[in-house]
Amino acid sequence: MNPQFVITKLVRGTLTLLLTVTFVFIVLRASGDPAQIMLSDEASPAAVAAFRERWGLDRSYIEQYLAYLTAIIQGDFGTSFRDGRPALEVVMERVPVTLLLGFTALLITLALGIPSGIMAALFRGRWVDHATMSFTILGHSIPNFFLGIILILVFSMTLRWLPSSGTGSIWHLLMPAVTLGTAAAATVARFTRSSVLDVLHQPFMRTAKAKGIPYDRRILRHALPNAAIPVVTVVGMRIGGLIGGAVTIETVFAWPGVGMLLVNSVNQRDLAVVQAVVLLIALTMVLVNLIVDLTYGWLDPRIELHNRRAAKT
Amino acid sequence: MTTTDLSSAPLRRRGWLTRIWKSRPPLVIGLSLFWLAVVVLMALFAEFLAPYGYAEQSLLKRLQPPGFLGGLPEYLLGTDNLGRDVLSRVIYAMRTSILIALMGTVIGASVGTVLGIVAAHFRGWVDDVIMMLVDFQAAIPFLIVALAVLAFFGNNFVLLVVLIGLFGWDGYARIARGLVLSTNGQGYAFAIRTLGVHPAKVYIRHVLPNMMGVIMVQITLNFPEIILLETSLSFLGLGVQPPGTSLGLLLGEGRNYLATAWWIGIPAGVVIFLTTLAISLLGDWLRDMLDPNLKGKDA
Repeated sequence: MNPQFVITKLVRGTLTLLLTVTFVFIVLRASGDPAQIMLSDEASPAAVAAFRERWGLDRSYIEQYLAYLTAIIQGDFGTSFRDGRPALEVVMERVPVTLLLGFTALLITLALGIPSGIMAALFRGRWVDHATMSFTILGHSIPNFFLGIILILVFSMTLRWLPSSGTGSIWHLLMPAVTLGTAAAATVARFTRSSVLDVLHQPFMRTAKAKGIPYDRRILRHALPNAAIPVVTVVGMRIGGLIGGAVTIETVFAWPGVGMLLVNSVNQRDLAVVQAVVLLIALTMVLVNLIVDLTYGWLDPRIELHNRRAAKT
Repeated sequence: MTTTDLSSAPLRRRGWLTRIWKSRPPLVIGLSLFWLAVVVLMALFAEFLAPYGYAEQSLLKRLQPPGFLGGLPEYLLGTDNLGRDVLSRVIYAMRTSILIALMGTVIGASVGTVLGIVAAHFRGWVDDVIMMLVDFQAAIPFLIVALAVLAFFGNNFVLLVVLIGLFGWDGYARIARGLVLSTNGQGYAFAIRTLGVHPAKVYIRHVLPNMMGVIMVQITLNFPEIILLETSLSFLGLGVQPPGTSLGLLLGEGRNYLATAWWIGIPAGVVIFLTTLAISLLGDWLRDMLDPNLKGKDA
């Protein structure tokens, strides 16, 4: 892989992270005395003084900013006032639960979105296509918290098949993951369809047909790999949507992950935890975008070539 | 189905499903427009259309099921846990949610368009900074940013509207920037500028009107997402605060009564769903109308 390409992407990612930290810093300073915000109301004057000393609140804004940046880089996000533990620790213990939900939802998204998008494109104008497209519009328009509530109403309250909230078994995972996964699946199906349609009309597909390559092989070896790039992009984009969606979905299903922690912390103004969650999500997003960018180079050598040429000129 | 097509053999050979599909777009668009008109009318004339005040309680008639499901006939959609009329609350909630979404759209479209024009006009570092902000906005899920800001500053209506307005500005900025860059390369903009007209006047009088079509399409694409953002925040209890109402807040309140009184929350959810669906359909259709090249591509 072209090192210059990787380095450019790394620099951009770091810049985004720096912007996020700066944004949080500005918001934190603009919203009042951080000593009072980050510590609880019952904190002793000595604790407040120690806090001011450590974060350098009596120094200039530039020095404060640098001190804040240093602390963040060292993984010091302040202390959660709810239980007095480091904010990072409070967040990290919720991460596995959210990852479980997120990855299951992502699997559902891919398993639902990509095949239906491909089928819709291959059978363009037929009922498969119409059904898929109708479902994508519905899936795109229904708010995921409403879908969650409908599912609870049907499968938990009326049919009594599935538990409505909490964790513990695969049955607890099913409804939140389906709710979270379907909205993204709608977008993925739409993009897959249009991407495959684009490729099917390319001259090389006609050439392949003229050469007498069988249909299955034309689709599998020629069409689908070429249609993959926009799909990877949209899947990467939807991961942000999955994270945002996890916040509401975890609340609907009382799924004790990072999203629910964020909502509870916002409600109780446990700001150390809020900033830790925001910064961790920013980090996740930057990493996801990086992976997506690197996947491009792997999927389509032309992109890397293009970047190399652009770098030379 | 009409029988006027009987003479047309090719059409008859198609399946009925295909025929419905073929005749569907205009019908769906008509229905969408009709629903949006209903929503706007409800929002505008809530005082006259709502049978009760949205905070009007009658504790003796708590948790009544909808009138058409065996409840009291005077409460068409039933009553909530405080004996408030669900229908009236939904109507008033439409007003709040639509109003916030409209204000948010106006803010986002104005800020984004202006920044996009500024970026394209000045180029250089101004362009770089604005585009970096666009990338930043696109990189972090906005719901998270909104939650963080509300946590730090506390909740109030003005902040909520400003926040919702800032959602989606990046889309407008990208579009405006691209359009200005391409217009500046066109003869007419160059001609006007050569005549000595001030750049600001060129943009307001000549470039902006040419952009309106594309920006309108972006608005229809952005509007459902703005509604979803506000209703999500309100649903989480972090948007519109009681005693105010919003469609999201109603659904959030109703969530606690799902087992016993589903009718408190579900109507609000249906309204959100139908509204975002109608605008999405309208937006797709508008985009196809304005740009025939995109027809059938759906992406």
